[in-house]
This record gives sequence, structure tokens and C-alpha cells, in this order.
Amino acid sequence: MKWIPKFNSSNYLRVIFIIAIFILLFLSSIAYKHNRDLNESSKLLMHTYEINIELERLMSAIKDAETGQRGFMITRNNRFLAPYLYSRDKVNTSFISLKKLTANNPQQKKNLDKLFKLIIQRYVSFENCLKYSAPETYDKRKLDNHMFGGRILMENIRFKVDEMKDIEKVFLEKSLKRYDEEISLGPVFSISLFLAALTFILLAYRQISKDLESLKVYNKKLLISSGLMAESEAIGKFSTWQWDLETDKIDYSDNQFRLLGVQPNIFVPNKDSFMDFVHPDDQEAIAASMEGIINNEELPFIYYKIIQPNNEIRYFKSTGKLLVDQQGSKILLGINFDITDEHLLNIKLQERNNELEKSNKELASFNHVASHDLQEPLRKIQTFISRVSDADKAVMSDSAKEYIVKIETSANRMRVLIDDLLLFSKTNTTKKEFIKSDLNELLENAKSELAVIIDEQNGILQVDNLPKLHVIPYQIEQLFINLIGNSLKYSQPGIAPKINITCEKILSNEYPELMDQPFKKFYKIMFADNGMGFDPQFKENIFVLFQRLHSKTDYPGTGIGLAICKKIVENHKGYITADSEPGRGSVFTVFLPE
Amino acid sequence: MQKNALHILLADDDEDDRLFFKDAFEEVKVQTKVEFVFDGLQLMEHLMNPDTKLPDILFLDLNMPKKTGKECLIEIKKTEHLKNLIIAIYSTSSSDEDIEDTFIEGANIYIKKPSDFNALKKIINEVITLNWHYHTSGLNRDNFLLSLK
Amino acid sequence: MKLFIKFDINTICTLFLKEKLEEQNLNFSTLGFGEIELEENLSTEALEELKNNLGPYGFEVVENQKSVLVQKIKDAIIELVYTDDNNNFKSSAYLADKLNHSYGYLSNVFSEVTYSSIENFIIIQKIERAKQLMIVNEMSLTEIAFLLNYSSVAHLSTQFKNTTGITPSAFLRIIKKRRENLK
Repeated sequence: MKWIPKFNSSNYLRVIFIIAIFILLFLSSIAYKHNRDLNESSKLLMHTYEINIELERLMSAIKDAETGQRGFMITRNNRFLAPYLYSRDKVNTSFISLKKLTANNPQQKKNLDKLFKLIIQRYVSFENCLKYSAPETYDKRKLDNHMFGGRILMENIRFKVDEMKDIEKVFLEKSLKRYDEEISLGPVFSISLFLAALTFILLAYRQISKDLESLKVYNKKLLISSGLMAESEAIGKFSTWQWDLETDKIDYSDNQFRLLGVQPNIFVPNKDSFMDFVHPDDQEAIAASMEGIINNEELPFIYYKIIQPNNEIRYFKSTGKLLVDQQGSKILLGINFDITDEHLLNIKLQERNNELEKSNKELASFNHVASHDLQEPLRKIQTFISRVSDADKAVMSDSAKEYIVKIETSANRMRVLIDDLLLFSKTNTTKKEFIKSDLNELLENAKSELAVIIDEQNGILQVDNLPKLHVIPYQIEQLFINLIGNSLKYSQPGIAPKINITCEKILSNEYPELMDQPFKKFYKIMFADNGMGFDPQFKENIFVLFQRLHSKTDYPGTGIGLAICKKIVENHKGYITADSEPGRGSVFTVFLPE
Repeated sequence: MQKNALHILLADDDEDDRLFFKDAFEEVKVQTKVEFVFDGLQLMEHLMNPDTKLPDILFLDLNMPKKTGKECLIEIKKTEHLKNLIIAIYSTSSSDEDIEDTFIEGANIYIKKPSDFNALKKIINEVITLNWHYHTSGLNRDNFLLSLK
Repeated sequence: MKLFIKFDINTICTLFLKEKLEEQNLNFSTLGFGEIELEENLSTEALEELKNNLGPYGFEVVENQKSVLVQKIKDAIIELVYTDDNNNFKSSAYLADKLNHSYGYLSNVFSEVTYSSIENFIIIQKIERAKQLMIVNEMSLTEIAFLLNYSSVAHLSTQFKNTTGITPSAFLRIIKKRRENLK
């Protein structure tokens, strides 16, 4: 069935979808990673930022302390000590944070320790400066030293802080670079993957829509087909049914219901419901065939009768074939034909045939018996006439003698007629046994039958080599006897009859009269004589039974001879034709199939 | 020729045919003794009778009531003491098949009943002559076949 | 099982005659085929007895001269037909020569005694042999025609048909079917 397309696109689609899903999963994992990386990098940034801030806080705290210290040292106002005191806390707080923040970086931890030490030293320096700047314990030299020392410490602290900041910066840069690298690939990769996924999805969509289109088209065709099928079932008086051998479910076409004489879909079909329709005579056979369907998975032609609900009997013919559908289930497709009309016609035909045969037989046997039984009294007449001896004739009157002669003549004529009729009926009634025979032999036999006449008339026969054919030997012999006999009988007075018998193989197309058997090989046997010929307008007439072209007084004959020839040739499925020119002889052509 | 008269038996149901036959034999050169039976049953009874002297030649009409000539022929050929009889079938049919058929069943001679008395005489002459030759010249009776139609 | 037996008529007849004559205590000597010289003349009763003894077996005591001659003619003809010497001489010359009479005389005597002619008899014998050759020796018509001095197969067929009324092929067919029937 060419219009069921191969939907392997379902596999195709499956593959596409799986690829697409994988791509999506892949994409989302990339996105997740990307996200995480971004998170990480921002955290890192935050981290560095915080460290910087803390470091700056630290610095500013120390600077505050320095400023406070300076202010106090300059003004000796206690108000300037407050920031210096607070700064200590700030420094501690910052330190604690910084400690936390640099926990994962051993280098920074070291630095921090160093810084811590420096800051402690600074604060020691601060203390010392305060101490030595206080008027009570003023010591300019120690003060200058510690101030100077403090400056240097400050510078170191600042240096250290910057160092730490730098380290953090480098670290950040490194990390960010790493993330960057990782992340920079992300978008391109993602976009391309996304595009790929998109392409796949588009492809899938295209395929699906194509399939959908085809489905629509096929569906439409299917509908039309179904419609046509249903129509043709109704017109052709047949129906189909499907029997799923595995599920034992039976489906009837609408017409199947109608053929059974009910409305479509009036009941759910199954094996038993069908049996209800089957004629009791055939129920056994149908049951057997149903068994056959189950066991052999086939249904050869079966003929049966059904009885419709309105008690009408219909004749059915059913057959079925096993089909395996796409899902692999075995379905027996069955077809029913309502052959009631043909069946009844057949019966009538057969009756007619029988009648014809009977009447034919009667006719043939009538023919045979009549000729046969007519021979008896005729023979007696002739024999008794022949018993009238010369001595008897001597004492008869002249008229009596004449009458005897006339009786004899008529009797002879009747004899010839009956003989020919007998021959004619024999051509029909006897069993037709075809034997491969040498036609030359048969011709020889015919010649010897006619030997006396041939001799009397000095007849000459010129014969081609004839073939060996499947024929009824005695009939072909009779054919030859009749044709040659005719040529001898209708010879030109005074001219010795000469008969030319030729034979050639021909193809039926070359001859119009053989046209209803085209392309068959025939043997064309021609009997040409130099006799009196006949008017060609009668060339078909002469084969008609009892047709003669001469009166019986001129040329004795019955008009049966050529009819017999025609019958014989017909028995062999051949043809015979005649042609002539008055005074120039005649040609009889016999076509015999190979 | 024959010292004793030739013994002929004709089985024919037709009175006229018997008459012709008898007249023809009377005009033949050879001394003959002609007997008649009128139908098949009578023929077989006559032949089976141990007192019957078997004929030299049996002329048998095919078309007889009660028992046909062919049936008689078959029966005769099956009977031990009869199967060597010279049998001439004397019939109205001239169909080659019938002739061959009767020969196959064992007849020696086939004669088509002529419609001319002189022809009948001639035929009888031929039959007797040939038969006599078979009788006296050691010819094989099994091969004795003569068809006159 | 089928057996073909060829028998020598001469031997059979001679032996048989010897037997029969010895039964009657007759002394004899054979002069030729079918010719016996008895030592003494037979009485009429003895002759009758002999005839009766020989009669059932197909033996006929031929009494008159003409019958004897006819018998000789027949024997000569049979010999002629049944020898395979393919001499193409005329039978008339052969007979006249062999039997020391003119052919005309022989012909007359033959017709007088048998009411049929020598030619006819020859033909019958030839056809008879042809039948034998066909059935027993299974020879073809061509071979038979040659062997029996016919000018052609057609000639043989025609004579066959004229003598028996059926064609050689029909004859063969009938004999074969007869044999099948007997089986």
C-alpha cells in the first residue's frame, strides 16, 4: 500500500528531542557554573574590598591616633586623646576582621602578623611619645626619637598596608583573571549551544509539521479511499471484514451488514453471530472453515448460503488472506461476494445447456437411427429388384420394365442420400479421438478408396508432402475422399482430371478468414483441380447442407459432401474455403491448425 | 473341392435376408448345406447342444433381438469347443470401427449386406473359396481376416 | 510368458504318417512330400480305415491324378513363397519347369479341381506369409515387400487390401488388440 508513509521520523524526532534536552541540561549546567563563578568573583571582590577597607580603617584609626596624639601633644588638651583612645578599639576591631579575612591566605597572615607587630610597636611609640611629651616626663631627645621612630613605623605600616593591598590586588587580579577566562568562554559557548539547540528544535518542528501535513494528506486520501471502498462494495455486492486473530475481534465493513440483510453496525460481529445467518446446510462447512482460519491462518474459497432476516436465501462466496500490519498483529482480511445472481444465472445456463445437450443427442441419434433404419428397407428394395432376373423381365410389359428401371434409379438415389446423411451424422456423433497421424498415409487410403474412379477417368494426382498432425484419422480420410471425389466428378468432359495438392505452413494473421484466432500457425492444404469450376458467387453457398449447383440428373450428388467436409474441418478447429473460375477449375483450401 | 457338403449356419432375424442368403447359396458352385437360426438365444442354444454338428462357417447378423450378434460372438470365443469356429459377421453397418471391433472380438470375416443379389453371390463365392483355401492349405486360422464391404 | 514356435511341417507330417501307417501295419516308403509307395495294394476297407485315421488330422488321401497334380502345384507354390531366395523369376516358368508340364495345362487342371486360379492361390499364400512376417517376425512393410518380391510397399498394401479387405496396418492393429483382450 504505497500511501502509508514510513514514519521513521518518530525516531528522528526522539533523537532530536533527546539531543535538545541534553543541550539544555548542558546549557543550564554551564549557566549554573557561570553564575557560581560570578558569585565567587564578586565575593572575592567583596573580600578584597573589605580587606582594603579594613586596612584603610586601620590606617585611619592609626592616623586618628597620630592626629590625636599630635593634637594633644600640641594643645595638651585631653579632648584630642579621645580619638587616640578610640583608635585602639578601632584597630583591634579591624584587626579581628582582618584576621578573619586573611584566614585563607598564609602570606597575608604573615603580613598581618607583621603589621600587627608594627602597629603594636607604633602604639608603643605612641605611648612613649605621650609619655615623653608629658611635661612630667618630658624628654626631648627620646621624644624626637620616638616621634621619628613613630614616623618610620608609620611609614612601615603604610608600606606594609600597601604591600598587603597590593598582594590582595594581585590575588584578586589573578582570581578574577581565572574566572574571567572561565566566564568569557561561557557566553560564546552558551550562545552557540543555544543556537544549536534552537536549530534542532526548529528541525524537529519542521519535521513535525511536515509529518503533520503528510498525515493530513493521507488522512484525506484514506477518507476518500474508504468512501470509494464502501461505494464499490455496495456496487459490486461484495464486502470485507477483518478478523484480528490475536484479539479475536471481528470488524465488518458497512456493506457486510447490508449483504447480510441488516443495517450497518446493528450488532457487534463475532463468530457466533455470523453463524446465525448461515444456512443450516452449510453450517458445518462454515464451522470447519472458521477452525481452519484459526489454525491455518488462511481462508481458501468457500461457497455457502446465508438466510437473511427476511428469509431470503443468498449465495455467498468468501475467501481470506492473512495480513500482518505495522504493529505486527495478524489480521485475516476476508472478502465476501454475493454471487446469488451469477449463481442463479449459472443454474439457468446449466439447465439450458443440459436441455441443449439432450436435444442435440436426440437429434444426433435420430439422425443416426433414421439413416441406419432407413437403410434396411432400402436395401431390401434394391436386392429384390436385383432378383428380378432377365428371364422375369422377358415376360414383363415394356412399361413394367421401365417402371422397374425407374424404381431402381430412385432406390439408388435414396441409397446415396442415406449414405451421405449417415456419414454426416457420424462426423458429429462418434467420439472424437485425436491421434497423431501421417496425412500422407490418410491420403493414400483415400486414393485407394477412389482407385477405381481415378483409373476410369485417367486422373492424375500431384501431391506435396503432407505433415503429421493430431487429427481424427477416418474423418480426414473422408475429407480427402470427398474433395478428390468432387474434383473427379466435376471434371471437364473430355479432359482427364488433374488434381494438385499442395501444402504450406502459414500464420493466421496473413489470412482474414482466420482472424478470430490470431497468431496461430496453420497448415494450408490446397486442392486445385482443372475441372469445370463453379460461379464464385456460390463459394460460400456450396458448403451449406443440401445445397447443390447442379440438378441431380446432370451430376448425381446429394449436396452433403461439402457440408461433411466443413463439419470435419470445424471439428479440427480449422477452416475451409473454396474459389473457382467457371471453366478454369476450382481450388479448395483447407486450413488445419498445427 | 470338398468331399462333403459345406455346412453353413446363418443367424439372422430377418426373413427376407434369410431368403436371399438361401437363394445365393443355392446358386454357388460348391455343395452346401445351409441352416438357419432366428435370434441370438436360439443360436447359442443350438451351438451349446452337444448333439449339434458344428458348422464349417457361421454367418452372424449383428442386429438381432434377445441377444445381439456381438454378444454371441464374444460368448462363442469364450467357449472352448466353439472358439475355433470360422465366423463371418453379416451386417448392415459399414463403419470401419464396427468392422475392426468385430475382428478384435474374434470374427474372421466381415460382410456388409449387399443390396444387389449378384453381389451377394459373388461375396459368398469369395468367402467359400478363401475358407476352403484356409482349410486345405494349412493357412493360419488365427490370421484369417477378410473384410467385404 | 510368450513363446514363438516355428515348426517344420515336413517333419511333423512325415513322422505322423509313419506312425499312422505303422499302426495299420502297412509297409511303405516315402517318395516325396505327400507321396507314399505302399508295398501292397490296399483293400477298400483298409483304405477307408486309413482315410478315417488320417482324416481327423487334416490328412486327405488323394486319389485321382489331377488332385495329385494340384497338390504338387500347391506344394511348389508354397515352397516358392516361403523360400527366401530372392530370385525374380516368374512363378509360371518356375512351376512349368518344376512339374514338367506347360503352365497352361497346370493352370487348367488347378482351376478345374479347385475352382480358383493359380495366381489367386499364389497371392493368398504370399499374403499369408506377409501376415506371418508382420506378426511373428515383426518386420516392417518395406522389408516384407522386398522379401516377397513386390515392386513397392504400395503394391503390397494394395494386394493385401484386395485380398483381405483391410489394410496391413489395420490388420496388425486388430491382431495386437486381440492379444491384449486375451490377457
